Amino acid sequence: MSEFDRRAFLKATASFGALGLMASATPAWTQDSGAAPKTPEVLHKHIPSTGERIPAIGLGSWITFNVGNDMELRDQCADVISAFFKAGGRMIDSSPMYGSAQDVIGYCLETLGAHNRVFSTDKVWTAGDGMAQIRETAKRWNIKQFDLLQVHNLLGINENLPLLFRLKDEGLLRYVGVTTSHGRRTDDLIAVMKNERLDFVQVTYNPVDRKVEDYLLPLAYDRGIAVIVNRPFRGGSLTERLEGEPLPEFASALEVDSWAQLILKYLIAHPAVTCPIPATTKPAHAAENMRAAVGPLPDEKMREQIAGVIGVLI
Amino acid sequence: MSDWWSYGLADLLLFSPRVYYRLFETMNTTWWVVVISAFVAGLIASGLAMRHGHRGNRVILVLLSVIWAWMSYGFLWQYYRPINWAVPYLLPGFVLQAVLLAVFAARPLPLRFGWRGDLTSAIGVGFMVCAFLIYPFAGVLEGRELVQAELFGSAPDPTALGMLGFTLMARGTWRWLLLPVPLIWCVVSAATLWVMDQQIAVVMLTAVWVTIFCGWLDLKNGITTRHLTEAEIKH
Repeated sequence: MSEFDRRAFLKATASFGALGLMASATPAWTQDSGAAPKTPEVLHKHIPSTGERIPAIGLGSWITFNVGNDMELRDQCADVISAFFKAGGRMIDSSPMYGSAQDVIGYCLETLGAHNRVFSTDKVWTAGDGMAQIRETAKRWNIKQFDLLQVHNLLGINENLPLLFRLKDEGLLRYVGVTTSHGRRTDDLIAVMKNERLDFVQVTYNPVDRKVEDYLLPLAYDRGIAVIVNRPFRGGSLTERLEGEPLPEFASALEVDSWAQLILKYLIAHPAVTCPIPATTKPAHAAENMRAAVGPLPDEKMREQIAGVIGVLI
Repeated sequence: MSDWWSYGLADLLLFSPRVYYRLFETMNTTWWVVVISAFVAGLIASGLAMRHGHRGNRVILVLLSVIWAWMSYGFLWQYYRPINWAVPYLLPGFVLQAVLLAVFAARPLPLRFGWRGDLTSAIGVGFMVCAFLIYPFAGVLEGRELVQAELFGSAPDPTALGMLGFTLMARGTWRWLLLPVPLIWCVVSAATLWVMDQQIAVVMLTAVWVTIFCGWLDLKNGITTRHLTEAEIKH
């Protein structure tokens, strides 16, 4: 850990937790005077490279939005996105690898008339013609320009990363990132983070899979790289395993109703984390997840407690 | 950094069991006439396969060819392709199987279906029973709706199992050409079902090993290498 000041990082961790607790004093939801509900006030986090603020919880689409041409299931996906937006969310993440998910997101945004609402996040996943794939992806989303494009699992990174930087330079893309998942190829990702001016990285992180805490997250914080967290619930297996287990007593101070919210608060309380992207097929869960970005956040000590409790139950 | 080695089986799973089984529900309700026709055609073919006869032999091959062609277009292209980007790589195999069966039907090649009374034949019948009667309704026992039943003739898993049964019932060295595609499908399907945590994956994988065992048994007993006589071909 020679390239950044670990002490400063830990100090930031502690102060962020305190800020989170202060945020609990503000009302969770704001209303028009007797009119329809406005977008709820949820915690926003900064994208370090620009200072732009985005809601601290996003929406993933791996498996959940790959429903093909089944119109009943497509409409259910639209309900999920609608609930996500109504609860204050913006970032939706997908990939050419996710089957029909991009088409389904495009359908949902069209149905909801929500193209101007979304923070669009997708990936390049090819060892071939990256530009052709980006065009195809944009067509599927029915969108002109992405907010963020990432090199998926570092596939073809030597070709695709320069392509994304070129698009950014030409004003055709706002942010550039690189992703990994399941804790694989972390060393390769770290090398890219050290050598390139990335805006975002995407990694697997949750109270059980904490490898990134040792080096990658502090490095991202030090280098000013926003962090998207995939598999916050380990693809659903974590929350499934915890279902039926009572929440720990200390969780009441965090105003959480569920293990999912507790896990998400654990994640967004980390100062390097910008936005976890839990996926769901249920509108109620999308809204529930967003509520994790409201109210107090755990400090470092409480984060350790959360990881400890969940570690014992898993 | 090239890179495919870094993917695990779980990375390549793209859909949930809910979405996968909905494919059969949608296909069964939209194309129900074709689905039932294909199932009945399969039953007729299986009945004929128990007998020996030149005409019946050709009918079996034609029916199975049409079934594989329908499955390629119906399930794979129309329903499965939108949720699985790997389907375009698998589809040529299904088309090849349909073409092979059509070629066998059109040409007087030494391939004959019929009960032989040995262990391989018995296992072939067992595969057919599983394909027509057990596999389609196994999901009901796990709580799935009947309308999501995977039927022989339209759904690839029971059709591949049944195809293995038909092939084990056949005589002649050419029959082995009909095995690779259903065997590869069984492996792919077993992997898919395994990642989706579906216990029926064991059936698909077991079918592969049992078929390989039967192939070895036939080779050992000289059934594979024995060419059909002229009389058997003309019969």
